[in-house]
Amino acid sequence: MNAMHQHQQITASFYLMLIRPFWGTALTLGTLWLMCSSTCFADDGEKLFAPCVACHGNKGEGNAALHAPAIAGQDAAYIERQLHNFRSRRRGADGSDALGAQMQAAATALGDDAAVAKIASYIAKLPRTFNAKPASGNLHNGNNLYQGKCGACHGGKAEGNPALQAPRLAGLDAAYIQRQFAHFRDGVRGVDPKDTPGRQMAMMAKTVATDRDLEDIIAFIHQQGRPK
Amino acid sequence: MKKGLILWVLVTAVAFAAGAYLGRSSKQDLKISSSTGGASYSGGFKAEGNADANPAGAIRSVAGPAPTNVVVVKDGESIQAAIKAATAGTIVRVMPGTYHETVYVDKDDIRIIGVIEQGRRAVLDGQKKLNDAILYSGNNFVAENLEIRNYKGNGIMGQAGNNFEIRNNVIVDSGVYGIFPQLGQNGIVEHNVVSKIADAAIYIGMSDNILVAHNDVFDSVAGIEIENSRHAIVEHNYVHNNTGGLLAFVTPGLPIKDTVDVIFRNNFVIGNNHPNFGAPGSTVAGIPAGTGILVMAADDVVIEGNIISDNKVAGIIITDHAHASNITADPESDPNSDRVKILDNVMLRNGYDTINEAKALLLAEAKVGARNLDIVRVGPSPGSCIINRHQYVTVGVGDFAECDFTNTAATVNYLLPPVPPREIKPGERGKVVYLGICTGCHTYNGRMIGPPVQVIQALYMDNPQGLADYIAKPTKKRDDYPEMPPQDYLDPETRLAVAQYMLQVTN
Repeated sequence: MNAMHQHQQITASFYLMLIRPFWGTALTLGTLWLMCSSTCFADDGEKLFAPCVACHGNKGEGNAALHAPAIAGQDAAYIERQLHNFRSRRRGADGSDALGAQMQAAATALGDDAAVAKIASYIAKLPRTFNAKPASGNLHNGNNLYQGKCGACHGGKAEGNPALQAPRLAGLDAAYIQRQFAHFRDGVRGVDPKDTPGRQMAMMAKTVATDRDLEDIIAFIHQQGRPK
Repeated sequence: MKKGLILWVLVTAVAFAAGAYLGRSSKQDLKISSSTGGASYSGGFKAEGNADANPAGAIRSVAGPAPTNVVVVKDGESIQAAIKAATAGTIVRVMPGTYHETVYVDKDDIRIIGVIEQGRRAVLDGQKKLNDAILYSGNNFVAENLEIRNYKGNGIMGQAGNNFEIRNNVIVDSGVYGIFPQLGQNGIVEHNVVSKIADAAIYIGMSDNILVAHNDVFDSVAGIEIENSRHAIVEHNYVHNNTGGLLAFVTPGLPIKDTVDVIFRNNFVIGNNHPNFGAPGSTVAGIPAGTGILVMAADDVVIEGNIISDNKVAGIIITDHAHASNITADPESDPNSDRVKILDNVMLRNGYDTINEAKALLLAEAKVGARNLDIVRVGPSPGSCIINRHQYVTVGVGDFAECDFTNTAATVNYLLPPVPPREIKPGERGKVVYLGICTGCHTYNGRMIGPPVQVIQALYMDNPQGLADYIAKPTKKRDDYPEMPPQDYLDPETRLAVAQYMLQVTN
């Protein structure tokens, strides 16, 4: 038992000796990459973002008049996934979704996957905005329905939850939420077999009984995450 | 948006109160009844077959004759190992000491009896790492004289076991439920001291023929909760400094759709003003701190002989699903509290710091100077009655009838001689596990403890194996939800069966 234990220790330290010289290299590379990600990538991101500002605003704050949602501070993985969905015609390809088609063209204009990743990470770092017009509804009903149907994935305060691939909803304008919700419900969005999160949302969208209930839920979402 | 309050919809409230006000006679006659005489409530349960016999008799034991086979577990040994080795029909005597383990009991006639030596108990200590102290699915289960601390999920949870007795235990800071028999028939929960529980200290879930008596329950969110259960008597308990004291609920979205025939009698319901520390957005987080007794959508609840004092919102709140917070209605559940019966209770200093919504109701009933509030009713409550209503400061009970009985003396309890085990048909394994385990925390369409089943169905729509694997070894995915306890004590086939069942239920 003792000999065995000793042997394990020796083996372990032997491996450590082997590995140690590489650590330095790995650390240096990591540092370089980190430095780059905050400077070079951001520059790229800013450049890549330039065409977006026409609709989404130069701070990513959205423009309800142009039907463009607020995107500043949205989860990077979500933005990346949606850009890929647009590019691969999983989203915005349905004939009834003219606004989605606009976005599909814009997303397709992005060069490659690397550009998509860069722009997503740039947008995710933009400070969140709260420009959406007030949405009115019955907050009591909205809270109850939100907690029962939405909060388990989108978070109790509509803050989003990357672990469940659920985007932040707080700060989005009512018309955008309503439109996307209808798309999920009516088989416009979230139908592609490869779009699992979209299909999950589509299934939940079908459980909200009335437009009134949806308005109340949106009114609740509107109250969330706002600066006091 | 104020959290932790039952939010009366003001418009409804004013309309309702205006109606009540207009319908009020200008002079109220005092109808004075004595509860030492007069007719007695006959209860809502009749034992099958012998209508003449009083079903209760003096039953104080439901688990049948004690086994003669005894094994002893000493400090440093494992209770679970002893139970694994034991045959059905064994008393496991646990000597004083500290035991860091989760105990699973899937055999019938097992009794875990702690031995107390000069105040020293057998302590099950989860060290805030383990989820559950005791999970039993066997019938005729008894747990006595134990001390349970520092678990994250449940102190003692029953999963479809009948004829259980849980008594003389001390349970402290042990997760979301202290004592939680789920889907059991014929059980006694008595003489336990339960505190610091983040949901219900004693939670009777989807069970029938229950006696909860002589417990000391405090510093928890919900004290004693009778939920989606039938024929329960809750008596002689001391329920203090919880957020809400005694609760009779229908939680929407559970497989059992009603709560019927609950007697709250002779309890002390004192100063239940503890700040609500339930998970935000969960059902219990909707209980206003300062609630003595809460009746929500439960039918035939009798409230008699309690001393209800110093609960700052109100002594008794009667409500429906529509007015409650964090509740999603269930089309298959009647949302109203039907036939509430309020007999004599001693009510003192309740409602001294009540919520604005209740103040608005008082105002609407022209009870302007009221410093206290004993009974509040919102939402329909058809067929309800009260005696000696003039004693209390009330809103919303003006249209209650006079009860045609004054006491429940004729109803001793609803316990039965040992009943047969729940019948499990072949192919129903998944369903029974769903009812007995999952629905303890997951309702179909609302947030109880874990995410709603509807959401789980969307997340795992065509992937039952993924769900089966997840429940064996859950990972935390939601900051504002408690961590799910692993269900790896279920074998892989059972896990898959319950996952398949869960993904296709429709309410």
